[in-house]
Amino acid sequence: MSEQTPPTLATAGSVPPDPDRSTPLERREGGDTTGATSRRSRNPFHGAAGRNIGLVIALALLCAVGVATAGERFASIDNLMTILRLAAVIGVLSIGMTFVITGGGIDLSVGSVLGLASVWASTLATQTMARDAHWGVMVFTALAVGLACGLVNGVLIAYGRVVAFIATLAMMVAARGLAEIIANRQTQIVSVDAFLDVFRADVLGVSVLVWIFAAVAVAGWVLLNRTTFGRRTIAVGGNPEAARLAGIKVRRHTMYLYGLAGLTAGIAAIMMLARTTSGSSTHGMYYELDAIAAVVVGGTLLAGGRGTIVGTVLGVLIFTTLTNVFTQNNLSISAQSVAKGVIIVAAVLLQQRFAARSRSA
Amino acid sequence: MVNEDGRRDAGDGAGRPLLQMQGIVKHFPGAKALDGVDLEVRPGEVHCLLGQNGAGKSTLIKVLAGAHRPDAGTLLWRGEPLRITSPVAALHAGVATMYQELDVVDGLTVAENVYLGHELAAGGFTRRRQAHARTAEVLRRLGHPDITPHREVGTLSAAGKQIVSMARALSHDARLIIMDEPSAVLDSGEVANLFRVVRELTASGVAVLYISHRLEEIRQIGDRITVLKDGRTVAAGLRVADTPTTELIRLMTGRAVDQVFPARTPVRPDADELLRVEGLGLRGAFSDVSFTVRAGEVVGLAGLVGSGRSEILETIYGARRATSGTVHVAGSRVRPGSVPAAVAAGVGLAPEERKSQGLLLDEPVYRNITLSTFARTARGAMLDERTERRVAREQIQALDLRPADPDRAARTLSGGNQQKAMLARWLVHGCRVLLLDEPTRGVDVGARAEIYGLVHALAEAGNAVVVVSSEIEEVLGLSHRVLVVADGRVLHSGPADQIDEHGVLDLVMEGSAA
Amino acid sequence: MSAPTTPRRRWWLTAGSVLAGAVLVTGCTSNTPEPSATEGAVEQAPLASGSNDEPGDTVRIGFSAPAADHGWMGAITKAAIAEADRYEDVELVVAEATNDVNLQISQVEQFINDGVDAIVLLPFDGAALTEVATEAMEAGIPVINVDREFASPFAARTTILGDNYGMGVSAGTYVCEQLGDQPDAVVAEIAGIDSLPLTQDRSQGFADALADCGLEVSNRVAADFTVQGGQTAAANLLQAAPEIDALWNHDDDQGVGVLAAIEEAGRDEFFMVGGAGSANVMREIQSGDSVLQATVIYPSTQAADGIRLARLIAQDKAMGDLVEVEVPRQVQLFAPVVTSENVDRYLPTAFES
Repeated sequence: MSEQTPPTLATAGSVPPDPDRSTPLERREGGDTTGATSRRSRNPFHGAAGRNIGLVIALALLCAVGVATAGERFASIDNLMTILRLAAVIGVLSIGMTFVITGGGIDLSVGSVLGLASVWASTLATQTMARDAHWGVMVFTALAVGLACGLVNGVLIAYGRVVAFIATLAMMVAARGLAEIIANRQTQIVSVDAFLDVFRADVLGVSVLVWIFAAVAVAGWVLLNRTTFGRRTIAVGGNPEAARLAGIKVRRHTMYLYGLAGLTAGIAAIMMLARTTSGSSTHGMYYELDAIAAVVVGGTLLAGGRGTIVGTVLGVLIFTTLTNVFTQNNLSISAQSVAKGVIIVAAVLLQQRFAARSRSA
Repeated sequence: MVNEDGRRDAGDGAGRPLLQMQGIVKHFPGAKALDGVDLEVRPGEVHCLLGQNGAGKSTLIKVLAGAHRPDAGTLLWRGEPLRITSPVAALHAGVATMYQELDVVDGLTVAENVYLGHELAAGGFTRRRQAHARTAEVLRRLGHPDITPHREVGTLSAAGKQIVSMARALSHDARLIIMDEPSAVLDSGEVANLFRVVRELTASGVAVLYISHRLEEIRQIGDRITVLKDGRTVAAGLRVADTPTTELIRLMTGRAVDQVFPARTPVRPDADELLRVEGLGLRGAFSDVSFTVRAGEVVGLAGLVGSGRSEILETIYGARRATSGTVHVAGSRVRPGSVPAAVAAGVGLAPEERKSQGLLLDEPVYRNITLSTFARTARGAMLDERTERRVAREQIQALDLRPADPDRAARTLSGGNQQKAMLARWLVHGCRVLLLDEPTRGVDVGARAEIYGLVHALAEAGNAVVVVSSEIEEVLGLSHRVLVVADGRVLHSGPADQIDEHGVLDLVMEGSAA
Repeated sequence: MSAPTTPRRRWWLTAGSVLAGAVLVTGCTSNTPEPSATEGAVEQAPLASGSNDEPGDTVRIGFSAPAADHGWMGAITKAAIAEADRYEDVELVVAEATNDVNLQISQVEQFINDGVDAIVLLPFDGAALTEVATEAMEAGIPVINVDREFASPFAARTTILGDNYGMGVSAGTYVCEQLGDQPDAVVAEIAGIDSLPLTQDRSQGFADALADCGLEVSNRVAADFTVQGGQTAAANLLQAAPEIDALWNHDDDQGVGVLAAIEEAGRDEFFMVGGAGSANVMREIQSGDSVLQATVIYPSTQAADGIRLARLIAQDKAMGDLVEVEVPRQVQLFAPVVTSENVDRYLPTAFES
């Protein structure tokens, strides 16, 4: 035990600390103060890592079923790429959703915002500008639309005190409607070759869309686990009152979270534009539900306060692989929906049991 | 009085007990809510249960209502051992509960609420006419024929809802009705009617377990009193007629176990003034509160629940926006209504409800300790968890927080160690004005001395400390100076050693009566 | 939607009977050309009509269509599966798509990975599926585009289309025949989703045909292809037009709602023409006691035809009744008018809504 206060103490606060301050406290310090037990929580089979291993096992089982029923048609690089390309768009949305849900909220509007951003970024005017200036115009438009919609959600929820479910439900309906108005319910074909060349390309044999998903996932992981933003997200979701009384600007942070979700919807819109070479008001229909399902199955608490990006990525891959295996085996979407439902319930039941165990520990 | 056998009781209400509870213990993670409660209720009596917030009344009620299962202890019901395993089992045995938060469904009718969960039905169809007739009968008995069975409960006043709640209890043919602060939502006329109903019930042999903070009510309606404190029974079966009110307050607020308060170090005469509160007011809660706290000084706010003492702390802290007055910390004015501003100025609050207001229970201790400083240790936006752990470990050692594991979930700590984690948060932050709201609430009696020592050590280290407690002895024992608060006003301010418990109580009684 | 099919199992059941009656001419003698050699020279002589149905090399055909949220769309998939079942040499891989283009794209990608011999694709959105269809074509897999056209001519080997403009013309011509001698007759129209090009085509055809006999549409409302939408739109229309002579409703699914509204209003002074050609509408026409006198067909057998053409293309066969040795680039189906006189002919291929 050092004799002086930690450096953070010395520089902290506007009040200069008294150097003697901690001395009287140290008189009573006990003997067993080493962090001997602190390694326990890093056992990989405990906590978040343990849950992720469960997901990996589930994914491996699913792949085993795929190989058993479809053989090489399933276990091929081409098929792996097909799965990843399908996963990419919903994956990016799910990363944003992970933050909102970890922060104690919900965003039902991301699918519609994706649709709106895809339409806005592919209007005749935007595409003309993109062709004349730079393909970045389309990217910027999609990101700006997504971010703006997200911030509107955030302001309504954080400052207008509208319940998140209602505010984002309203945005879900309104954004879809606005997209239909802008596109006049028609599909807008993307004809900016520079844009398509960039986003439809392969890098090292892997689609740019998959790279984007990977980049967003890594950035999301760092943001949630290694930055002050992530720490605030967990605090705000875990106990908003405690966060407020600790001096965290809860409302502003809540607004940022929805802005972030909107931004990921904008990124997903760019990816959708590239993948379908078109913008449409029907893009992203029901994606919010797929994203929520992936996040929850991944192990993020729907009540907030705990989130896992790795789990979310695994959740997305589980659902995408499931779709792939079902299609390989000529099974109907309806049966697949039943299977999805079972997976969601099973995952949540497991989560609850885990939560009960950790509480009694 | 007449008990259920129709036999005349002895004049003082003695007779075969309806309910006997002995040594009831209930643990929650990190805290002992009940630590050996004894309670005996006789048929046909109004038995009052007294105790401060957090004394264990709610937990005891929930044990009786079947919402919690006790960890230890015996429960005899009409002389037979009984295990109440669920709310249904409680109702079956004849224990009905009227909760403080009115547990009626606004969208249903009065009759539907009364028979909620035990609908009168034949072959799956509800027998509405019969339910309406019986509900009307019960409501007449309760003196409220004006509430019609088909009325939607949402249209009733709080008092009306309470009548419905009571009608529901009666519809269960209860032998014991638990009333949790029934008068809290009533005006005086309605309280009179409540008492009339309670008397009718007891005359027919039903026992009532009555919980209230209003001592004068207990005097009017109660037969006997049991006082809880820190999860223990400190006085059982006191006859209301023989027990003076001051004695009741002493039992509620006094020390159950002898506590030695550490000797106070006198405040140095040249100590700087760290906190100055001038004319502070919050509409509807308190007004014109002024005091100063110097470095090394502990100032205590004494007062009963609802006196405005917690609100004063929260307003200084910026969690509530003052409607008048100013707060200065170390000479500079703090922007009102902003927690970040207060924290930046060096003010820290350890709130009354640590679990719901202070801690992230599922997060590790070190993150709780660094909750208001992690952004400062961060490099840019990137967290520096090594520094966080190191700083937390230093505080864990300095405060002797046990177990000394920064990675443990806060939920698993005892109340006293959770409190230490809260204090550690502000020490890491470098706060020099510490506001402690009920610092020993939920802290085991044995661990309190440690918290007291800590408070003094913090003051000696040059901090300014403000303590709020509903335990008058605690305020007097800890503080250099005491402010007595009642009804949102400061009635007295002076050195703690020049006033005793009775003096404070007299002031409080006067102030509350006014 | 229909249950998952197992074409292979039925294959064995039907194989015996078909083989017994068939003369084994083709198949064995043909040069078993590469399935992908769609553009290359064909050594085989064009076959006589009918012999196309004789079994050839087994071909795997991938099929994907949007979700069956409309009776017509449901019938499309059913008819396609039924058609594949008729051929012992067709193995159909059905990827039942949702209305999510992202997912439909991935299904086509899976078909490409699989190396199917042909793909029959009714895209949820033609433009969005264009790129992946082009990829399939580039991979040597012929794509048969059904109903909703791709944005690029390179994305499909053959396109099968209904005739939306023709529907309007057929309906308009029928109305003219009935009302030709009444120049001030009131003609009303209930359209589908107004912003869709197919709706605009239908209305244009209708208007053009009416203009030919000096009539015009006096009242026009748009619905949304659903029963409820049809009911609402029709109720409003009947309110607005107290006296009508003829009414054309674009879609028989929404027509269920239109008829309900007519019934509700107790109106019968006019005759009504339907669109698409659902079985219950045809039965209504057959019964003869309804305001519904006729309907214009928009064939729900397009995907079934797609399966047939896919098989021919994959097996390098030609269309029997054409001299041309290749399957045509585009097939546009006719939109005939069904009345009580010829309803028996169309009822068997009509769809149940």
